[in-house]
Amino acid sequence: MARLASGREATVLIDGNNFYASCEALMDPALIDRPLVVLSNNDGCIVSRSAAARALGIRMGQPWFQVKDALERRGVLVRSSNYALYADMSQRLMSVLEEWVEELEIYSIDEAFGLLHRPGPASDGSGDLTDWGRRLRRDVQRRLGLPVAVGIAATKVQAKLANRLAKAAGKGMGRGAGEGVFDLGAVADPDPWLEAVPIEDVWGIGRRLARWCRLRGVANARALRDLPSGELRHRCGVVGVRLQQELRGIACLPLERLPAAKRETCVSRSFSRPIDNLPQLREAVATYTCRAAEKLRRQRQRAGALTVFVRSSPFNGTSFYANAATITLPLASHDSAALLAAALPLAERLFNPHKPLQKAGVVLQQLQPETLLQHHLLVPQSPEQERRRRALMAVVDGLNRRYGSGTVQWAACGLHRPWAMRRGQLSRAATTRLADLPTVLALH
Amino acid sequence: MHAVMPDPSPEPSAEPFAGLSRRPSDPQLTLLGGLTAAERLRRWPLPLAGATVAAGFPSPADDYVEGRIDLNEVLIRHPSSTFFLRVSGDSMRDAGILDGDLLVVDRAIEPRAGLVVVAVIEGAFTLKHLHRHRGRWRLEAAHPAYPPLELGDGDDSRIWGVAIHAIHSL
Ligand SMILES: [Mg+2]
Repeated sequence: MARLASGREATVLIDGNNFYASCEALMDPALIDRPLVVLSNNDGCIVSRSAAARALGIRMGQPWFQVKDALERRGVLVRSSNYALYADMSQRLMSVLEEWVEELEIYSIDEAFGLLHRPGPASDGSGDLTDWGRRLRRDVQRRLGLPVAVGIAATKVQAKLANRLAKAAGKGMGRGAGEGVFDLGAVADPDPWLEAVPIEDVWGIGRRLARWCRLRGVANARALRDLPSGELRHRCGVVGVRLQQELRGIACLPLERLPAAKRETCVSRSFSRPIDNLPQLREAVATYTCRAAEKLRRQRQRAGALTVFVRSSPFNGTSFYANAATITLPLASHDSAALLAAALPLAERLFNPHKPLQKAGVVLQQLQPETLLQHHLLVPQSPEQERRRRALMAVVDGLNRRYGSGTVQWAACGLHRPWAMRRGQLSRAATTRLADLPTVLALH
Repeated sequence: MHAVMPDPSPEPSAEPFAGLSRRPSDPQLTLLGGLTAAERLRRWPLPLAGATVAAGFPSPADDYVEGRIDLNEVLIRHPSSTFFLRVSGDSMRDAGILDGDLLVVDRAIEPRAGLVVVAVIEGAFTLKHLHRHRGRWRLEAAHPAYPPLELGDGDDSRIWGVAIHAIHSL
C-alpha cells in the first residue's frame, strides 16, 4: 500500500459502447447510424443495441420473439451474435489499449482495467487525465472504428463508476461527463457524482446487498462510501469493507495482469429445440468435442480428462434433469478422434429418453502443454502414428480456418443438425475468414 | 453481454497490487500515450543471425541465417488496425487496382491527398483516390468515365481507411 502514498496512480476502465452492434456496423457500412440489435445465442434475446436502437426505447434482454414484429415494422435491423468478428475486434482493442496504459487487465470481451500515473497531483489541474482519455478514445475510434467510454479514478470500483458517468447521456455537469471520458479524480467535489449513481449500479453490489442498503436508506454510491465500516463488516464481512475502501479511493482489488494458464476449455450450446433422441445428442456432443479439440490444438495443449454435461430446460419445473460424466483419458490428447471415442459413450450414458435436453457441453480438463509428451505402456502409439495423426489434424484445422469451421468434419457430427442453435441473421466473419471479406466497390 | 460470452475475469488475488512492482513506471512515457508512444515502442523485427551451436564446429553458414521473408511484415505495418477487403469493379484500374484484388487497408494511417482510400458512400465501401480541391476533400475514381465526389465539412468520418496494398493474383 506504500506505493499509493503519492496519490498519483490512476485506475482506468475502458469499455466498448454497444460493442457487438459497433463491430457489426464497422464491417458493414449499410448499418452505420441505423437502429440495429444483436441477438444472443439461439437468437433468443437482445444483447446489444446501436445508439439509434437505444433511442427507439428498445431494451436489453427483450426476448426476440416478443418484439420481432414490432421492431421489423419500425425498420430495426437485426443480427445474430457473430463471435468470430467480436473476438477478433476484442483482441485488436486490447492490443491498442496495451499501448496506452502501464498495466492492462482484460476484464471481459469489451472491457479492460488499466493502470497509469498521473502527471501531477489529481487535486490541481496538472493531474487531470481527461484530455489523455479523449486522445485514447480518438485513437481507438480512428484505428478500430469502435466507440469506447473511459472512466478514470483511484480504484477499480471508482473507475467503474467513472465509466458509467462517462457514458451518462445529457449530463453536461462537468468536464467529460456524458462525452465518453470522465476523470473522477480530477473533479473538485466527487460527492454529487457519486450520489448520481444508484446503489444497484455500484460494481460488486449483489442484488441482496443492494436491497439491504436500500432498507437502511443507503440509496447511492456516496451513501455507501460514508456508511460506518463496522456495520458493513457486520453484514457482509471483508468483501463489503473492501468494496467500501475502494469507493473511498483506497485500492484493495489489484489488477490481474496475466490470466492464469487455461486449465480447462469448454464448448457448450443450447439447442434450437429440445433433443429427445440419442442420435441427435451424439451429433451435438460430437460437434462440441471437435470444436473443443480444435481450440486445444490452437492453444497447443492436450487434455487429460473429458466431461460431458447435459441439462433439460430450467423452465420445465418438476422434470428438470441435469447430469454430467467424466472420463480420464488413457493418454493426454488433442486428437479429435481420440476425444470423440471418449465423449460419445458418456453421451449415451447421460441420455434419458424421458428427459428432453435443452443444452449439452463438453469440458476438456487437466490441460497440459503439447510438448509434454508422456508415454503410456498400455497405449502403444508409435512416433510414426503420432506424427501422422498430427499431420491430419493440421490439415483439418487449416481447411476449417481457411474456408470456415465445419468445412471438414468428423461424420459423427452429423450433416443437417436440426438441433443446432439458430443464428438466422448471422453476418460474415468479415475480419477473420478470407472467403468472407467485405466487398469494396470500384464501380463509380 | 456476459451471458453470451464467457466472462474471462480472473479471481482477484489475495495480494493487493501484486502486479504493480513488476515494471518500473515512467509517467512521462505513459503520457505520451497512443500512437506516438506506440511507434516508439514498436519492436522492429531483429534479424535471426548467429544461431548458437552447443558443440562441434560452427557451420560456416551460421553467420548468414536471417529467417525467411515474412509477407505479413512486408504488407502489414499496424496489425491491430489492418483489415482486408475484396475489390469489385474496375473504376480504380488506372491506379493498378483490379477487379477481384485483395485490398490491404490500414486505418491507423492518416488520410492525405494522393492516397487511395476506402470511403463509405451510400452505405457501401467504395474505393477512391483522395484529393484536395479548393480547400475541400474530393474523392476521384482512377478512370475517366467516373465523375469526382466532393466531401462536405462533416464528412471526414466517411473515410474508413487508407488502402496500402492491392494483392493481385495471376
Ligand atoms: Mg460495453
